[in-house]
Amino acid sequence: MQLATNILVLASIYALICCGYVLIYRVSRVLSLAHGELMMLGAYGLYATASLFSGHPLVAIGTSLALAAAVGVAVYLALMWRMTGESVLAAVLATIALGILLRGAMILVFGTQTQHPLRELGWQNASLAIGAARISAVGLVLVLSTALVYGGLFAFLRLSRWGIRMRAAGQHPLLAAQRGIGLHGIYALAWGLATLTGGLAGMLIASDAGLESTLVVIGLKAFPAALVGGLDSLVGALLGSLIIASAEVLLIHYVDPLLSEVVPFVVLLVMLIVRPWGLLGSREELDRV
Amino acid sequence: MSGYYRTNYLEDVALLDTRAQKAWFALFIVLLLAVPFAVGPLWLDLANQILLGSIGAVALMLLTGFAGQISLGHAGLLAAGAFTTGILFKELAAPFWVTLPASAAVGAALGLVFGLPSLRLRGLYLAVSTLALHFIVIHAGAEYETKRGYSTGILVDSPLTDARHWYFALLAASTLTILFSLNLLRSRTGRAWRAIHGREAVAEALGISVQRAKLSAFVISSALTAVAGCLFAYFRGFVSVEAFSLYLTIQYVAMIIVGGMGSILGAVLGTIFVVLFPHAIDALMAASGLGERLSSVVFAVNYAAFGLVMIFFLVLEPQGLVGIWRRVRDWFLLWPFKQR
Amino acid sequence: MSLLKVEKLEVTYHRVITAVQGVSLEVPRGALVALLGNNGAGKTTTLRAISGFIGLDDARVTEGSVVFKGMKIDNRPPHRIARHGIALVPERAKVFENLTVEENLQAAVPRPGGRFAREKVYEFFPALGALRRREAGYLSGGERQMLAIGSALCCAPELLLVDELSQGLAPLLVRELMRRLQAIRAETGVTMLLVEQNAQIALEAADYGYVMENGRVVLDGTPQKLLAHQDIREFYLGAAGGRRRSYRDVKQYRRSRRWYG
Repeated sequence: MQLATNILVLASIYALICCGYVLIYRVSRVLSLAHGELMMLGAYGLYATASLFSGHPLVAIGTSLALAAAVGVAVYLALMWRMTGESVLAAVLATIALGILLRGAMILVFGTQTQHPLRELGWQNASLAIGAARISAVGLVLVLSTALVYGGLFAFLRLSRWGIRMRAAGQHPLLAAQRGIGLHGIYALAWGLATLTGGLAGMLIASDAGLESTLVVIGLKAFPAALVGGLDSLVGALLGSLIIASAEVLLIHYVDPLLSEVVPFVVLLVMLIVRPWGLLGSREELDRV
Repeated sequence: MSGYYRTNYLEDVALLDTRAQKAWFALFIVLLLAVPFAVGPLWLDLANQILLGSIGAVALMLLTGFAGQISLGHAGLLAAGAFTTGILFKELAAPFWVTLPASAAVGAALGLVFGLPSLRLRGLYLAVSTLALHFIVIHAGAEYETKRGYSTGILVDSPLTDARHWYFALLAASTLTILFSLNLLRSRTGRAWRAIHGREAVAEALGISVQRAKLSAFVISSALTAVAGCLFAYFRGFVSVEAFSLYLTIQYVAMIIVGGMGSILGAVLGTIFVVLFPHAIDALMAASGLGERLSSVVFAVNYAAFGLVMIFFLVLEPQGLVGIWRRVRDWFLLWPFKQR
Repeated sequence: MSLLKVEKLEVTYHRVITAVQGVSLEVPRGALVALLGNNGAGKTTTLRAISGFIGLDDARVTEGSVVFKGMKIDNRPPHRIARHGIALVPERAKVFENLTVEENLQAAVPRPGGRFAREKVYEFFPALGALRRREAGYLSGGERQMLAIGSALCCAPELLLVDELSQGLAPLLVRELMRRLQAIRAETGVTMLLVEQNAQIALEAADYGYVMENGRVVLDGTPQKLLAHQDIREFYLGAAGGRRRSYRDVKQYRRSRRWYG
């Protein structure tokens, strides 16, 4: 049914955004509140490359993805590196300040009108029918992308050497350093991956609904999903996204459309009262902070 | 034997010791009182904004800087005070001496709600819970606006209209807040807050009720903040949810960080900095000739510059303006010896 | 040629507390050296100074030097030191709890130019072989210690630093681990510096020993000489003859006179 499809698409959006929050938190215990702005930057990146490589949409997409990853690494090297010794709150405030800086910079460079990257790419957002429900083409791509990204991340973290090292560094940074794991490299990698997935989410949302400042708000609404699932668990992020998306869609449909802004935070608050470390997060996280 | 000694209880409790300090302070008061008569309307308005902002900043400093309880819900509490004033005014035509205590009461009650998570959570998770509460409060305000048809905001009649009258009123309010805070910090409650900021387990072992200290910090700070919100409503003559965004919270957090955590002076310095900042940027832009080109997006320039300055302070000067002031002062005090 | 040479090392915490005062020791290539002493003697601080993980507690090497393979490494960043070939098995937090045994071994980054096959770890510690897929958090104390040593070896170090191997383990198990360490040393030639409170077991396995007290080395020598020394027997091996001694009999200055006598 239509509601289920909507929930699936919204949950995919949140989940794709969340893996950025989870990746960064897992390695450095920092909640990156600049994620919304980085998403938007990714979307603008697509808009820029689409205009640049008009006629070669795949090149544009590839370039913008690579750019997003590079920006993530750059953010770590330029700013977050220096915050590694400081308190967690200072690091979170630094991300907030970075978000503000990016927001101002983006308006200065790109202006305030709504953009439509999909048009620049020369593609249409067709409406497809699946059974009795309708879904947009971009929506479908979103769901598939989220599945692919999560699959890839799971494979990377479980099976590859550097994925294992990343998990190790997140758990015991000191011990990891003693075993020769270069922590700065791991953190930069985490930021790169997080901004890549966030940028991808931003690009897809902008293709679906247009590029405007509300994109950042979606990014902010997604972090309760990460917390509900447990900030250091990817599976938790999937679960949390499903729960919040369901609550949001159902409440909007049956109760009041205005609730969409506040539902994620109410769910978050309930979770913090009942089980602060989230559904699948590890309990030690709470004492560590 | 040289030095300055306190020889009776009255002297012990006084905020100013030496005659020199008292003299400087008297001079400072005279200057403050002379301001409305000496400066133009623009600067007077800025001074009013600084005084108003300082109340909220001091409240946040008490909670986060001294008691160590991180709160990202400040705008929500300001909104609560402002909305209480607006709602009481619109629904019951309540006068000023009713709305002010009512705002304080609502603030205190909300402070209790905001503070309850602090009994279980710390640091990042506490900050997130206050953030969630902020959004919920804002949502409630927005609901009221739409349900009652004030989609553009609630208009409030202010008892004071002249900027000079506002100056003296706000000066009194700000001074009272600062005096209250300074004395509170020297009292048992203040010491309990500093203890729980340092090490909760040790505070508990010393017989300080950590729960009571945390909740009292939230309640007192929120009551003060809501009072600031009430004054804000009267000052602007207008209450609307858009004014109480996350950005406002960040501005207040910036005030205490840029000012320097753990110091009332820091709260005031930070307020001055944050209030004057956009005007400084404007002046810079005008001087550099970019003013014309960027006039339509001046708020974006403000955003970008603000973010940049915050990052600068977080990375390079974690002790804020107070830290800089202390370094300068110590350099003079210790000269010609070197400060290590 | 000595692999590691520590000369008159002084380590200060918070700029005011000198934890290590003028310690000198030498570890020849291929040797197994024991660093003994009671709690608070400064052994762990010395180890940290060597491995580079000293800045974390606001400590600094303020005097003296640590020279590894002819290179000064005091106050250098820890990951650089690890690259040169020093691996530390810490006292606490020695394994990654949420990773399996196999993953713990995979996580270690070998020193550039070095190689150490994971299979060799299972050869040295057969008990780990059966636990490959077990999460490290569920291992017993002895198994954890084996895993910790194994993962340090996977860094292909030239110098292995082990902090308090015996802590929390039964003496029989500790002896077994010491034997394994000797076997590892014999087969791979890895030099080892062991910090230990259990002097008896350490001296059974070591080639040379240093005894630290209050931040200074008070005695050093071959195990035979140390085991025969009266004060070692009295204070570290519990051979006081069962007689109760009053505090006055063990005053510090009396001991220090005997140390240097």
